[in-house]
Amino acid sequence: MNPFRYILRRLLFGILVLVAVVTVTFVLSRSLGGNTVVAWLGKSASIHPELAALYAKEYHLNDPIPVQYYYYVLNLLHGNLGFSPSRGFQPVAEVISITLPFTLQIAFFAFVISVVLGIVLGVLSAQYQHKPLDTCIRAFYLGGYSSPPFFVALILLIVFAFWFRLLPTGGAFDLSLTPPTVITGIPMVDAAIEGNWPYLLSSLDHVILPSIALALVTFGVLTRVLRSSLLDVMHSNYIRTARAKGLDENSVFFKHALRNAMISVVTISSLMVTWLITGTIFVENIFGYPGMGQYLVIALAAEDYPGILGVTIVFAVVIVITNLIADILYAVVDPQVRLG
Amino acid sequence: MFRRSKEALIGGIIALGILLMAAVVTVAGILGVRITPYDPIQQDVGPPLAPPSLLHLMGTDNLGRDLLSRIIVATPNDVAVSLAVVGVALAVGAVIGSVAAFQGGLLDEALMRFTDVVFALPALVLAMAIGVTLGPGVTNMMIALMIIWWPPYTRLARGEALRVAHQNYIEAARLSGMGTARILFKHVFRSILVTLLVYATLDIGTVILVYSGLSYLGLSVKPPQPDWGEMVSSYQDYLIVAPWLPVIPGFIIALGVIGFSLLGDGIRDALEAR
Repeated sequence: MNPFRYILRRLLFGILVLVAVVTVTFVLSRSLGGNTVVAWLGKSASIHPELAALYAKEYHLNDPIPVQYYYYVLNLLHGNLGFSPSRGFQPVAEVISITLPFTLQIAFFAFVISVVLGIVLGVLSAQYQHKPLDTCIRAFYLGGYSSPPFFVALILLIVFAFWFRLLPTGGAFDLSLTPPTVITGIPMVDAAIEGNWPYLLSSLDHVILPSIALALVTFGVLTRVLRSSLLDVMHSNYIRTARAKGLDENSVFFKHALRNAMISVVTISSLMVTWLITGTIFVENIFGYPGMGQYLVIALAAEDYPGILGVTIVFAVVIVITNLIADILYAVVDPQVRLG
Repeated sequence: MFRRSKEALIGGIIALGILLMAAVVTVAGILGVRITPYDPIQQDVGPPLAPPSLLHLMGTDNLGRDLLSRIIVATPNDVAVSLAVVGVALAVGAVIGSVAAFQGGLLDEALMRFTDVVFALPALVLAMAIGVTLGPGVTNMMIALMIIWWPPYTRLARGEALRVAHQNYIEAARLSGMGTARILFKHVFRSILVTLLVYATLDIGTVILVYSGLSYLGLSVKPPQPDWGEMVSSYQDYLIVAPWLPVIPGFIIALGVIGFSLLGDGIRDALEAR
């Protein structure tokens, strides 16, 4: 397949998925509390009928459903996600623009740790197949991906923050430090640009435990797939040919087998990223990390519907975008797609 | 299978243990017999926040309730949700998948693209949003998960049905004048069932994992009713004074997931070897 056509197809598919998400949240927003205004104003809609009427007019909530849907999508495209009762009626979009960067910080570090850990352990596990090291690694990743993220996060918190007191117990940075001025919106990047080293170090210190917790539940997906595809590849004909040509075992493994096995890793990475992003909800809550996941948990407890629906949409957008990146990466690594 | 793989045996024991426990608790509940060491909801059956001891094997919580009793009575929730969600997904997937495979053409294309889109939706986040709309409760979470859980089963069923469709006995059935619906019911479902069941066994663990997440977020039982995920979130405030309180329920969830994964892997390997 032509790589551009392939990417275009994935792009269109991503848009289709987003349309589906928005349609689902639209349907949900109409079913909340028997009153559509609730989805924009929360439960307080019933306390202030005048305000509710104003909103119904503003958002075309009393028009026929197709018209409502049109204005719903239009509102979303304008970044209008309603107002969040649990945040003193701050616009949901504003809350998300503050919290999302923190979630991305955790997700980024968790992703890096996950990939490194996943590949190293996958390679070791395949090289030492059926030996004690392989058994240990398999037990480790099985335990990891079978554990709920909140369980792993709790264990790490108890052991490393409370028992050994090695790392902070919560938050995203030392609150006595001055945060960097907003440049990109992602605090750690801004701190690095500005040269605000104390803040950056403190942020790193705070992000380590949550991102390790998250990586521990996700790396197993990668290790498992890499191990089994390495084992498959090592028994294939072209590896036998490479050996027969007299290549030494190391270049057979790293140049031929690993490169090929990585294709399946890229395929599975979208699954891993989805787990990783949804996992932030739990990990942030346990570590008191002020990201979107923690906001979601607070919104859930407060029945802050605009917040819940807004976060749902943004989580879906983030997941669709990361999956799209994985798809494009796939087109780059897989010669069957790349060469058409 | 168990003779060949120690892992599958361990998984089988854990899975069977959990299923049995759920069955016993449910039957005892119907008969009105208490099988737990203490009443799981009654407060002050022991001193609050007591560490594990012979009297309270898993300790007591902040209100002096027995943790072991609470964990035991919560078993049917996770088991019921996972079996129901996986069962419905399997049935829906088998029907849509094999109809798509046998009808082919535009219907196949439409059904499978729809499946792809639902498959790409973030499961936990969407289940949560649907769950919020339906309102908290075990049954509502079950429904929320059922709505989004079927796509992988559909894909699997379609692939298997396509493989079956070209075999001689299906051809023979068609030539003998059997209609598509009857062929599907009499032959196709039976032959794709094994593959789907193996996948379902592996999948039970995933449902438990996602359900425990929803429960942790407070979308499942209402207090004082216990649930594994809910226990972790309500006890996490005591993690310094009584770390066993959130850790034990979390460990039980992980154990259940490990059990079903090992069992599913074992069954799959055994079938592939044959």
